[in-house]
Amino acid sequence: MGDLSGRVAVVTGGSRGIGRAIAEAFLAEGAKVVITGTNADKGAHALHELNQPDDTHFIQADAKVREDCERAIDEAIARFGKVDILVNNAGGASNHAPVADLTDEALDDALRWNLWSTFWCSRRALKPMIERGWGRIINMSSVEGKVGKPGISIYVTAKHAVNGLTKAMSKELGTTGVTVNALCPGVIETDIVRAEGPGAAEAMGLTYEQLIDAFTHESATKRVMEVEDVAAVAVLLASDVGAGITGSLISIDGGTSPY
Amino acid sequence: MGKLEGKVACITGGTRSIGRGMAEAFLREGARVVVNGRSADKGQQCLVEMGASDRVAFFAGDATKQSDVEGLIDFTIDHFGHLDICCLNSGGVAQTAPVAQMSDEEWKLEIDWNLNHVFWGMRRALQHMIPRTSGRIIVTSSVEGKLGKPGIPGYAATKHAVNGLVKAAAHEVGTLGITVNSILPGLIETDIVRATGPASAAMMGLPSYEAMLDLFAQESAIKRLNTVEEVAAVAVLLASDAGRNMTGTMFPVDGGTMPY
Repeated sequence: MGDLSGRVAVVTGGSRGIGRAIAEAFLAEGAKVVITGTNADKGAHALHELNQPDDTHFIQADAKVREDCERAIDEAIARFGKVDILVNNAGGASNHAPVADLTDEALDDALRWNLWSTFWCSRRALKPMIERGWGRIINMSSVEGKVGKPGISIYVTAKHAVNGLTKAMSKELGTTGVTVNALCPGVIETDIVRAEGPGAAEAMGLTYEQLIDAFTHESATKRVMEVEDVAAVAVLLASDVGAGITGSLISIDGGTSPY
Repeated sequence: MGKLEGKVACITGGTRSIGRGMAEAFLREGARVVVNGRSADKGQQCLVEMGASDRVAFFAGDATKQSDVEGLIDFTIDHFGHLDICCLNSGGVAQTAPVAQMSDEEWKLEIDWNLNHVFWGMRRALQHMIPRTSGRIIVTSSVEGKLGKPGIPGYAATKHAVNGLVKAAAHEVGTLGITVNSILPGLIETDIVRATGPASAAMMGLPSYEAMLDLFAQESAIKRLNTVEEVAAVAVLLASDAGRNMTGTMFPVDGGTMPY
């Protein structure tokens, strides 16, 4: 009997990286898990590897598109009857540049990917959670939701906004049985970081390796985080005993963030 | 297989309330635990209530006394062979007052109890953990470690101070396999709060003890107090292998009270 027995979770961007680790940890605790992603092949591959066909489901959906976010929640409810736990994990940023050179499109894209997606999925999932008097929303933020590095302002801005939304939602929902928290990991070498890291590094005047070093050297542990570190905290927040934690921006960053 | 199989923990102020909750959670996860408190009677009663297995022991000592705090660390290492998890949990106020009326005696007591005890325990534990390149220090701080209510200045000051100590120590030992974190609970109706709460409420200018509980609850998003079990679950996470990359963190268990 796991800590999440009987629960249904949706993890956006759940095929790989942090989302995948959270999906695995939730399954291990007895939840049913719906993962979303833009790539159907990667989704099918993830389901195959998770190897619990009755307890998992993949929905092809682009977090940057409202209709996809809302359809993902609706389809999850259709498949497993409800959504107890929503992990707004999909996110990232492309086309980094210093603010003086930044395009409107880059900021807009980052906001859609991180902020709008969190808003769209949460809004859709919330009403049934409130009606049932139980829910967990876990937003994937970043250490960059608390501090700010040069050259990646679109990501910093979007993650700070996610933290603000988290706090406001937690106050709105405080007495409803629905908690809302954000996880703020330090850098983890996931697929998305490997894909977008070189561009971000260039905007910061660094190589990719120097970018990773810049993050690890700020930490006390002097190393990158692992996806499992984040998943363990997600399990705690999603469980019954997490009921007393809401509106928190929890650092999983090896001692990087100053607060 | 528990999450803390083979681990040894000690907990200051572990016979009742938050510390007791941590002790029970650690035992459930397979750890061996030494609990501490001033009263030998309460200690023995605690052992009986927890099943008095050979995985749990009691050490009588006063958290405001350096020799007692260091004695707990030494006793744990002697008794169970080593120390993996050091929970510096004891703390509180005796007869608090607004700054203008605060006595030197109370101020010194709160510094010894809430801050020096954490330093004494952390220093002794780290001296054991650093050569082993493994360990967990978990400090029970408070929402008052980030806020500051009127009438409890010593508590707010010392809980802020331990958060600073936690951050500095986390960076000192960050590459040595040792994490140092604090947990910041909202108000929980523990024995110590029941005992000292009415006087604290008066010092805060509130009409009653219940009004103080209500003030804390109303500041939160969940509009209720927190529970011992909620704090203990976080302690298990920080103490477990899964917590290895969380350090220097002030982990809130406050129902959405603190602004950061």
